[in-house]
Amino acid sequence: MTIEHHPDESMLAAYAAGVIDLGQRIALATHLHVCARCRDFVRAMERAGGVFLEDAEPRPMSADALGRTLARLDEPPPPPSPAAAEAPDAPIELPAFVRRYAFGPWRFVAPRVRMRPIRLPEPGPTRVFLLKSAPNTALLEHAHTALEMTCVLSGAFRHDGGRYGPGDFDLGDDTVRHRPTVEDGEDCVSLVAMQGDLRWKGVWGRLAQPFIRL
Amino acid sequence: MSFDKAGGASRDVWSQRIERIARDQDRTAFAEIFNHFAPRVKAFMRRNGASESQAEDIAQEAMLAVWRKASLYNPSASGAATWIFTIARNQRIDAIRREQRGGGAVRVDDVEAEYEVDDAPLADLRMATAQSEARLREALTVLPGEQLKVIEMSFFQEKAHSEIAETLRIPLGTVKSRVRLAMKRLRAILESEHDDD
Ligand SMILES: [Zn+2]
Ligand SMILES: [Zn+2]
Repeated sequence: MTIEHHPDESMLAAYAAGVIDLGQRIALATHLHVCARCRDFVRAMERAGGVFLEDAEPRPMSADALGRTLARLDEPPPPPSPAAAEAPDAPIELPAFVRRYAFGPWRFVAPRVRMRPIRLPEPGPTRVFLLKSAPNTALLEHAHTALEMTCVLSGAFRHDGGRYGPGDFDLGDDTVRHRPTVEDGEDCVSLVAMQGDLRWKGVWGRLAQPFIRL
Repeated sequence: MSFDKAGGASRDVWSQRIERIARDQDRTAFAEIFNHFAPRVKAFMRRNGASESQAEDIAQEAMLAVWRKASLYNPSASGAATWIFTIARNQRIDAIRREQRGGGAVRVDDVEAEYEVDDAPLADLRMATAQSEARLREALTVLPGEQLKVIEMSFFQEKAHSEIAETLRIPLGTVKSRVRLAMKRLRAILESEHDDD
């Protein structure tokens, strides 16, 4: 797998700093899962975090903080995260922790296009879903009202920005207007983390708008 | 901003204390780590928008996690301060998620642990291995302090670029270009190291 398209460095820095919401975290983790190059960048940023921590001007803890913490050392540790079973039919390209979330059923979006929601355990501004499009499907030209992160799991699509195959990461924002076309051969399955809405362009897109809710 | 503090001999002292916790459940070593790092974690969280009591709680929980996870610590993979930073960061994310009522949330630590586990099969794909702590330290040392400052403020303190410009008394465009430069430069340094592999 050769990954051509990576998340922007500032997204990786935000990931390392822990300041992005769960939906976007999942999209970035899905890329990091297969991209050693970006993992290294995240680790470099975590090291920067260590330096910033070391350099922070200490803020005194409450008087009994150490005593109370020492008293808790012998407490049994909390049980590991509730080990939800992995969804048996979730794509194997997803990191295991994503496969443990609840997957909804595949739903019709448009001819040759299906989506499958991933239900997050907490409310947030980002929706996460799998998007599956049949070979040679040309998606309607559209723009985004906010950030849309896409990580390709299998298959490939192309748009103005180039070719996006397995592991590639695509970012749509309010400045991007594009028309992806799925390559010949196999279905293209992506994980998408989307904020805001899509805006479909052109007369067909506008006609389709009421029926297409991602 | 100094790298020697976190990167020189003093770092080895903290790593050794974590190892003493892992080996001997050494409470004295734990108290020393607590006294040094808890007030720093608290300060870090305060700057990140946590209230006084939230910051205090996260600092205590992070220290408890240091005790419990000490046996997982690998000093050749990360320095003590880096490791404690990631523990505190994950405590913070999980605390926020608990507040949002995320009963079934997969803990952040479980996510991070996957990368370690998954590095082995990825080697088959002939991808580069993870950077060692020493090489990351070298990479960061190349960045000027002024670039690190804007990285800290924009990502680790979540300040808007306009706020950073005001605080540092520099033009907005300078903030943006410093962030961009720092990011590109760091990526380039890490890349060139991969090429040597
Ligand atoms: Zn990447
Ligand atoms: Zn799009």
